Amino acid sequence: MSSVQPTESATPVQAAVGTPVLELRDVAVHFGGVKAVDGISLALQPGLIYGIIGPNGSGKTTLIGAITRLTGLTRGDLLFDGESYVSAPPSRLVDLGVARTFQTVRLLPDLDVARNIQVGADARGGRGATDGPAARESVGARLKGLVSGGSAPSPAVAAAIARTGLEGFERHYPDELSYGTQRRIEIARAMAMNPRLLLLDEPTAGMNQAERAEISALMRDMRSEGGLCQLLVEHDVQMMIDTCDYVFAMNTGRLIAEGEPREVVQNPLVQEAYLGRKFREHA
Amino acid sequence: MTDWYFANLVLIQATLTGLVMALSVQVPLRMGVFSFAGVGSYGVGAYAAALLVIHMQMPALAAIGLAMLLTAVIGLLLGLVIARLAGLYLAMATVAFDLIIGVVATNGGTFTGGSTGLYGVLSDFTMPMMFILTLIVLGLVILSEHGKVGRRVHAVRDDQQLAASAGINVRRYRLAAFVASGALGGLAGAMNVMVRSTIGPLDIGFGLIVLALTMIIVGGAMSWKGAVMGAIIFTWLPTLLEFVGKWQTLLYGIIVATAAVLLPRGIHGVFVDLTRWWQRRRREPVAPPPAETAPEPDLEPLMTGPTSGTASSTSLLGGTA
Repeated sequence: MSSVQPTESATPVQAAVGTPVLELRDVAVHFGGVKAVDGISLALQPGLIYGIIGPNGSGKTTLIGAITRLTGLTRGDLLFDGESYVSAPPSRLVDLGVARTFQTVRLLPDLDVARNIQVGADARGGRGATDGPAARESVGARLKGLVSGGSAPSPAVAAAIARTGLEGFERHYPDELSYGTQRRIEIARAMAMNPRLLLLDEPTAGMNQAERAEISALMRDMRSEGGLCQLLVEHDVQMMIDTCDYVFAMNTGRLIAEGEPREVVQNPLVQEAYLGRKFREHA
Repeated sequence: MTDWYFANLVLIQATLTGLVMALSVQVPLRMGVFSFAGVGSYGVGAYAAALLVIHMQMPALAAIGLAMLLTAVIGLLLGLVIARLAGLYLAMATVAFDLIIGVVATNGGTFTGGSTGLYGVLSDFTMPMMFILTLIVLGLVILSEHGKVGRRVHAVRDDQQLAASAGINVRRYRLAAFVASGALGGLAGAMNVMVRSTIGPLDIGFGLIVLALTMIIVGGAMSWKGAVMGAIIFTWLPTLLEFVGKWQTLLYGIIVATAAVLLPRGIHGVFVDLTRWWQRRRREPVAPPPAETAPEPDLEPLMTGPTSGTASSTSLLGGTA
């Protein structure tokens, strides 16, 4: 899976065989002399939740940017279902089945909650659309929407709203809502894309513990429903342990450990990366 | 009513051409493309339509159609060259394009009529044609503000990375903005020359850029409604201010500056804000999701290990509690 030594115990992840949903081979992203990501190789199997932990500046978000093609690679290869997409434009990734949330909340301020999420549902038109005619908005439907002052959310949007607990907020605008609720909208938008790989970049930043637990439960729900693979970047170690099947730890752009979450968290290299050598010696 | 219509026919025509020209700047602006190329296209469209009528005796609608096609292609080529620019740099490049069109018109010899321009553009263009063309264009712009295209335009303008992540080809949308701007500008210029029967370099100068920008800044840059309000106000305002005589220009400037300062999102933005305020007042309060009411716990145990954690609680230092 990578050059990093996995932990000793066998996990369901290690037992998983078959073509990975996502595979990274020696991926590097350098900004001049700064090696933000430097030779990462990993593979993600469908139906599992993976996590990436690491201190600030360890390269987690840059890696997500590289996976989603928003950040160019210095070297390496990216494969989805075994096929390279390293030269694909970022807008093509939705067709593959990749959806993401961002480290900071990125909503469209002039669209209400339902329409923000609909932006995600719009993207699924070319790949296994289940909305039927609702996904292909005709001129007639748009005219009807003009007259009625806004069409009803499509089934995909309604489902995403229900799953993220956003009922009642459909006609609110982002600036009227709390930070935690805005985070939910981001997640709902990504879910509305009907992804096969969901990348969540600090989805619970700014949330309290109860909210984090809800998001964690939501992720586990989604795992149980099918082959969705999820990759979670989080600082909240407890959430990673409670949520993830397998965790990668990064520092200075490299993988320093990987394996079952609890063992990775207790890995001396990981503790040192987070807290420093002296802190650990005196702990 | 009929008397009023004929007495103000020139202003009505100017309002319609002003509206389409304002849309030629507003449509790209709505996609985050700060381009004034529509004004240059206005000049190209006007000269192209005039030349087609004068030299080929082409019917008005055919001449307008060809002029729009030409300016749309020019818009595409311009977009391919400068679409990578953004903000003020893009604006400057498109202003340069507009000024170049003016220079070419002035120095085009007998082909463009030089500094005096072209006269005697007599065609079969009628007011019903003008109304119908304007309504068709306005209808298409309105449709582009709603539904899937409307949402995607918001995304392309507000957050290009988000747009790309949602499967939107941002470059294609930006190029489409240049094409639409070219076609709209070309239509406005062609219609104008059909009703005026003349076009000269002074008609497509820097003042036209200022007029178009004023219309959409004061009216509102984010909706066709703003362009309509801006076109009506700034076509009719000079006439309404005639009573102040020589102070007309000063008063016009004060009105524009005041509107720009007090209404940063234009007159349409005020209506939007009022509508949202009214909707908020009428809306039933929604209880926040249950989790949001929970108290924020002490986060320290997550890093240093809980004092009385559950079996699943693990810290970076202390292992399983």
